[in-house]
Order: sequence, then structure tokens, then C-alpha cells
Amino acid sequence: MKKIKPIRIVIYVFLIIMAIIYLAPLLWVLIVAFKDNNHELMVAPFSLPQSPSFDNFVFAWTAGKLGIATLNSFLVCTISLILSMLIGSMAAFGIARLRWKFAKLSLTYFLLGMMIPVHCVLIPLFSRFSSFGLNNSLVGLILPYVTCSLPVTIFIMVGFFESLPNELIESACIDGATIYQIFYGVCLPLGKTGLFVTGLMTFVANWNELLLAMVFISDDLKKTLPVSLSKFVGPYNTNYTQMFAAIIIAIIPTIIVYCAFSNQIVDGLTAGAVKG
Amino acid sequence: MDKLLRNKKAIIVFMAPGLILFTLILFVPICQSIYYSLCEYKATSITGPKFIGFKNYADLIKDDTFWIALKNSFFFLVFSCVTQLIMGLFLAGLLTNIDKGRNLFKNIIYLPCVLSSAALGLLWMFIFSPKFGINKLIETFGVQDFVKNGPLWLMDTKGFIVLPMWVIAFVALWQYVGQSMMLYMAQISGISKSLYEASYIDGCSKAKSFRYITLPLIRPMVATAMSLNAIGSLKFFDLVFNMTEGGPNHRTEVLATHLYQQGFKYSKYGYASAIGVVLLILCLLVTAFINKVVKTEQYEM
Amino acid sequence: MKRKILATTLSAFMAASLLTGCGGSNGSDSGTTADGVQEITWMFWDDLDATQDLISLGYKETIERFNKDYEGQYHVNVVTTNLEEYYTKLNAEIQGGNAPDVFICSPGPQLSDYVIPDGVAPADGLCMNLDDALAADGWKNTFTSDAVFTQQTYDGSVYAIPLNTAAACCFYNTEMFEDAGAKVPTNFDELLDACDKLEAKGYTPITISAGTSWCLSMVAGYLCEEEGVDLAALADGSASWEDGKLEKACENLLKLSKYFQPTAQGDTNDVATANFYNEEAAILIQGSWAIGQINGENPDFESKCGVFQFPGCERLIAKSDSLCVSKDTKCPEACIALLKYFTDDTAQKYTAEVGGKIPVTNVEYDASKAPAQLSYVMDVFANAKGTFGFYNESMPTTETGAHFDDLMVSVFLGDTTPAEAATDMEEYYNENCR
Repeated sequence: MKKIKPIRIVIYVFLIIMAIIYLAPLLWVLIVAFKDNNHELMVAPFSLPQSPSFDNFVFAWTAGKLGIATLNSFLVCTISLILSMLIGSMAAFGIARLRWKFAKLSLTYFLLGMMIPVHCVLIPLFSRFSSFGLNNSLVGLILPYVTCSLPVTIFIMVGFFESLPNELIESACIDGATIYQIFYGVCLPLGKTGLFVTGLMTFVANWNELLLAMVFISDDLKKTLPVSLSKFVGPYNTNYTQMFAAIIIAIIPTIIVYCAFSNQIVDGLTAGAVKG
Repeated sequence: MDKLLRNKKAIIVFMAPGLILFTLILFVPICQSIYYSLCEYKATSITGPKFIGFKNYADLIKDDTFWIALKNSFFFLVFSCVTQLIMGLFLAGLLTNIDKGRNLFKNIIYLPCVLSSAALGLLWMFIFSPKFGINKLIETFGVQDFVKNGPLWLMDTKGFIVLPMWVIAFVALWQYVGQSMMLYMAQISGISKSLYEASYIDGCSKAKSFRYITLPLIRPMVATAMSLNAIGSLKFFDLVFNMTEGGPNHRTEVLATHLYQQGFKYSKYGYASAIGVVLLILCLLVTAFINKVVKTEQYEM
Repeated sequence: MKRKILATTLSAFMAASLLTGCGGSNGSDSGTTADGVQEITWMFWDDLDATQDLISLGYKETIERFNKDYEGQYHVNVVTTNLEEYYTKLNAEIQGGNAPDVFICSPGPQLSDYVIPDGVAPADGLCMNLDDALAADGWKNTFTSDAVFTQQTYDGSVYAIPLNTAAACCFYNTEMFEDAGAKVPTNFDELLDACDKLEAKGYTPITISAGTSWCLSMVAGYLCEEEGVDLAALADGSASWEDGKLEKACENLLKLSKYFQPTAQGDTNDVATANFYNEEAAILIQGSWAIGQINGENPDFESKCGVFQFPGCERLIAKSDSLCVSKDTKCPEACIALLKYFTDDTAQKYTAEVGGKIPVTNVEYDASKAPAQLSYVMDVFANAKGTFGFYNESMPTTETGAHFDDLMVSVFLGDTTPAEAATDMEEYYNENCR
């Protein structure tokens, strides 16, 4: 029989404490969100709700406009995701596989984008978009989102396309495929793992993005989730229980997806970051 | 085949969308931003930007809030680089040494990384609210009148680095340490077992083998993780915005929130652009610095 | 095959995104639609569907009334934002060439930004000259006096229409005052004395927000007024900030700050106000616009709430919401008609009876229906020897006002001494304002 070393116990105790530090705040918010009113929160913030109700959630979802915000977030993130994966992998294919003089140079050009904080382009973009009437529209948000996802997408996909064996493309050539068929039919399906990873990173980053969305969108019906949540503080500043419900609404979709695919997500995101 | 791959039309079709988008949305605005930073440009102005040379930068030097923001941003940078390195390595070391529940703990600690910082910022703002939250919790555990006499957390204003900054930095560590941990774990699990076995045979303790085998081998990853942290902490906005909005009295302003305030609250586009340029330069400098200092040579694995 | 599917989905998404884009511009469209209805936009700083503020709800009613009465002729589309991002969004719309036809604005440097941007003549600014409209049909005669237009007049012409007036007063909890045996103070020393008594009884004497800096700065403004600070003289350089008046005012602020709630430095305006109507503190120094908020959140509190003028001050800080009309509007008649709806008897009656603000026209209203606090405010207003603007809105530029706000907070926090504050203001004025 293997002896349990005391050091092992210490490690596990420590890890359990860490897990509590990570989960307790989320649980607390969940409990408070079910409480009836502020009074209960002030008197007994840590006890279970006396008469749990969904009223706070209903309020946040409808009057707080988090419902429509969730839809907007979903729309913006999905469209950005598809566009950035398509444009990104096309450019990556062009850099990794096509033969032209400036392939390396254009890769460097794209990678520079990783070091540029989006804050720097906020003001020129805002004034430019205002004059094109793109401010206050979801398109105005999708464009920068796609652009900011390009560097990472291109970087990872270039790695993928370069690792594909030459023979694959050669044999496709011999079969008489056009370059577009090679891209869509041969290379893209093989790069699925890479696409999954970059797609995940893009989606998570855009889903949580606050600054651009806050600056570009003023119409309540077009705000994305993080913005609606942050602005929820305004009119309902002192209705704490409703705010807690709003927080839960904002994070619950991510938590559910995360619980379902946590292993793939964690590995995928890390793989992406390692390469990034 | 070569002809196929040198097809000019194909090259344009593949590259054009990306290059055009990238240039129009990122590159041109950066140049514009640099130009605006040399202009007097208010949002309400009907004449558009007016060139004034380096006046915005001269004003920046005289702006107390800018120095506070710069100080806080640097504090963040150093704090997050150091603590993420230590905590990240420590957790990665622990997790690679256990088998049962490794995935569970890993996933729990990584969880906040994928959640919205806007939501988590609000959450922690409530936890550190003096009326309920942490002070109340301590009182429940038996410390008398802690709600009345306890620290004000996010509202405190004393000291060189104010208490709210430490709180925000802690929350940032809480949220993002999973990222560093995962990076190190991936690298550590890539180290061949035989290296460790050989070292144990040579009489190395676990700590020693960590020092002489693990650390040197993950050094490139330290550089990667650190640059990620550094750029991330310079760009830091969401948590500060939702936890304190830069208050009390601008004490917790960081560069990004100061830029937002100046640009979109006071509509001083030119001035805010100057802050943006400073931020850009800092990002480039810090990345270059870390890569130069930390990433000396690559070990083959 | 695969390619086809991909292409189809993509084009579908492109189309969808384009559609949402078009949806984006629909909201701010103005002009005449196909069926001959003139559409105008009105931009406002509170969400009319979510707000609990009674004044905002009154505006909502006005808009609905207007749209119903002019159905088939005019239609107003409402664009709303939160207060803190209002001017950003307004500026964006103006830059993009879709200036709203009618928009709300605070008088002072903010209004000047639109009437005389870059210091041009008002005729070249962004706002429409309203003199002719006011002269027609005796509209101007419905207002209480010409004085209500003081802050909206540039070069002798009116460029904005005030909707209501609010005055900054001290609201107090009569129950707590009675319990502590405190009397309504008439000068600064009596105020300190009342606070002492309240504190002795275990109440928090004053709730205030320094997290929202203008709230604290408003009190500082009153204290400056008490010392006789003359902003006009300071602006043209005939007086100096370092003459000891500001220093004295700051010292008084520090004396008063001992009675603030402990979380004053971080509390936002709403939290500070909530402290008052939740009966956690005895005195709230706030504009009378807060009446709507207080009574909306805690209707039972109305009977306990008294009002007194800031002790020792003869004049009141007053402020009015104002509406401007964009010079480029395609339908000026519709805009004027809308403005008239905001100042007609129904709207002004609502302002007084429900909203609790002071009407700008000679409307007769039922004082018994109005919130109890309004009649106290009206009394205070009647006894006051005039009004002055918010300090931060009476200074030469918005930045100067913001600088003053921040400086007062920093004095309160003990980071700046009163003497340093005076020197700082003098330097700032010398550099930026004179």
C-alpha cells in the first residue's frame, strides 16, 4: 500500500482553499440574486434567500435590456468570428503557401498588430466612423473586432499551413484542382484544429470586450452584454439585488459553455497563447 | 504547380481582404492618432483638428492625473508581471505534481479568464463594498463593529499606491493567473521525464531539480507569458472602469481610463490621442525589453 | 458543394450585417417621409423607458402627447443615452452630420460649446436663433420673466429654451432633527451646532457624494459664496483667488466634512441620495431635481422631509435644463412646435406638481398636489436674494469647472491644503482663463 505523504495533504488543502477563493464569490452573487430586496441583502448578505424569486432576473433581462444585449453580443461575435476566420485563414494561406516576394514582410506587418493596444486607434476610428454613419451600428463594431482578431488568427494559421506536407498540395495539383479548391477543399479542412483554437480565442475576447463597444454604441437596443451590464449601474445604482442578477445573466452563458467543454477550451486557449 | 502558387490573381484574392482591412482599421488610424496628438482637436470643434505641435505633450507633463495614471499603470505592470510569474509557476508546479483532480483544479482556476471582466469587476466591487461584502463577512466571523471600523477598500485614498489599486491588482491576479499557470503547465509537461529521473539518480532533491531543470527549460515561456501580462496590464481598462471608474478623485486612474475620460467625457480628442501615443510607445518598449532580457537563448527539448 | 454552402452562409451573414447596419441609421433619420410626416429627433440624457426620475417621465409624457396630437403631420423620434455619455454621443452625431433636431443641454460652458463653438459668432454656431419664434404668438409672454433666459442669451439673442428651474438646497430629515433637538440652522456656526447634536444622538449628520465630484463642489460653491468670492472678477483678473476667500471657504469645507458619512469619498451621487431617503443620514445638500428621485424611490419619506436654504447664503444655486434646436434642421416648424409643448401649461404643471421643479412659465398649479418639498423650495426661492450658477458651470470653460471640482475633492481628502488650493486656482486661471 502506498503511503500518503503529508506534503500531499498540504498541497490538496491549499488547492481546495484556492478553489473556494475562486468559486465562493460566484456563489455569493448567485445567492444574492435570488434575494427579494436590498433590505435582506443589508441584514443578512450571506444567508440563503428567504423566498427565492426570479423577479430580479426578469427585471434585469427586460427592463435592464440584458436580453437584447445578449442577442447583440451573439450576433456581433458570431459574425466577427466567421469573418475573421475566413479572412485570416485566407491571408495565412497566402503567406504560408503562395510564392511571392512580400510574404514574410506582410506576416511581420500583421504581427505588429498584436502589440498595438486598441486604445490608440479609438479616437480616429470613432471620428471616422461618425462621419460614415458607422457609429451606433453593429457593423461599426464588427469591423474593428475582425481586424483585432486577424493577427492571432493569421499567426496560428500560418503555423498550421506551413506544417502541411508539400505532397498534399502537389497531388491536388496533379488532379487538376484550382488554387481555390486546394484552399477550401484540402487545406482548410485540415486546419480545423487551428481554426477551432483561434475561433475560441476570438469569440471569448470579443464577447468580453468593453471599451470599443462602449464608445461606439449609444443606442440601448444595440449595446452588447458587457456595456449593458456596466451601464446597468447607472439607473439602478442602488438596486443591488437586481445588479447581482444582471451579473449572473452576463456570465452564465460563458460558464455553461465552459463547463461543457472546459478541457477543450482550456487546452485550445493555451495552445493559442503558446503560439501567440 | 509552381505556376499555380505564383498566380498573381490568386495572391491578390487571398491577401487583399486582410491587408485592406488591417490597413484601414488599424494602420491608418494609428498614423491619424499620431497626427491628432499634435493637434488641438475638440469634439465640438467645427473646423476639425488644428496643428499645434507638441503642446498636448507639454500639457501632459503638467497634468497631475496623467502622472497618477502612469504611476498606476507601471505599478500594475510590475505587480502583475511579478505575481503572475510567482503564482503561475507555483500553481503549475503544484498541479503537475498531483494526479487526482488535476483537471478539476486547473479548470476552476482558469474559469475567470473566460468570463467578462466587466461583470467580474462589478462583482468584486460589491465584495469590497464597505456596507456589505467582505467587511460584513469578517464581522459575521466575530470581529466586532468591523463594518464601521474596517478599511474602506475601494474608497481609500492614502499612500503612494492607494489601497484600491492593490485591491484591483489582486482581482486582476485572481482573474488572469490561470492563463500564466496554463502556459507554464503546458511547458513543464513537455519536459521529458527521463531528465528528472536522471537528476534524482544523481541525488537531486525535487526543489533542486526544479531550480536546475524546470526553470531554465521554461525560460522562453516566461518571456511569452510576461509579454502577454505586460501588454495586458498596460491596456488594462475593464476592471478599473467597473470597480472605481478611476475614483476616488482620480487616484485609481490608469492610462486607458484617463484616455477614455479625456477623450469621451471632456471630448478632448487631441489630448487623448497624445495619451494613446504614450501608451503605444510604452507597449512597444516593454515588449522589446522583456524579449531582450528574459528570452536569451532557446533550449532544445 | 462545400464551397457553395460556405459561400451562401457567408453572403447571408454579410446581408444580415448590412441589414443591422441600416437599422442603425434608421433611428436618427429625420426629414419628410413618404406619407408627408415631418420626422424630427430629440436627444435626451436619460432612458425614458427605464427611468424612475419623475422629471424624465414628464418629458416622456410630453413627447407622447406631441406625437399623438400631431399625428400625420409631425413625429418625434427619441434618442437617449445615459447622462455620463450624453455629450460624447451628441458630439458624435454632430460630427457625423446627423445632429439631432432638438437636444437638451446644460447652460454654461456646455451650451457655449454648441452656440459659439471655437468662439465663433453665435450666428455661425450650431444652434438656431429662437428670437423670432419667441416673439410670435406671444410665446415669450408665457414665461415668468426675461430673467429665465439669462444663461441662454448670447449677443442679445436667445439660443435655447429653459424648461424648468431647480435650486440647490439642504434637505433634512425632520424626525431626526426633532429627536436630536436640532434647530434649522440660519448660519454656518448653527449648521455645525446642529450636526454636533445629530452626531451625539448617533445619526450621520450629512450625506454627500465626493465620488461624483460636482456634488461636493456644489457645497464648496455655497461656502465660497458665503465668503463673497466673485467669479466674474476672478475671470477678468480684477480679483485674485489668493485673497483668502477661497482659503476660508475650504477651511469651512473641512470643518463640515467631519460630519459626512464615512464612505463619502467613494459614494456616488445616487448612493449618497439613497442614504438620505433610506434614513441613514439627516441632511442632504442637493438640487431640487432630487425631489423626484426621493419621492419616486421612497414615497413614505415625503412627510418627513424638510428643506432649508444653505445656511448663511443669501443667494441660491440654480440650474435649468434647456433645449436647443439645431441650425441645420429640416423641419424648424416641427421643432418649435415641440419646444412649445415642453413649455405649455400641461407640461409645466406636471413639472411643478409631480416633478417637483420650479416651472419657467406663469402656469397656475395646484400646490396641494405638488410634492411637499416643492413648496418649501419655492419658499426658499422666494426668500433668496437671487441666484447663481453652479461653480463648475460658471467658470470660463468646462475644463476649468472640472479642475475646480477635482480640487475641492482633493481638499476634502486632505491632499491639498486650503492655501495650496487657492494658489493652484490662481495659477490655473492665469494660464488658461485670463
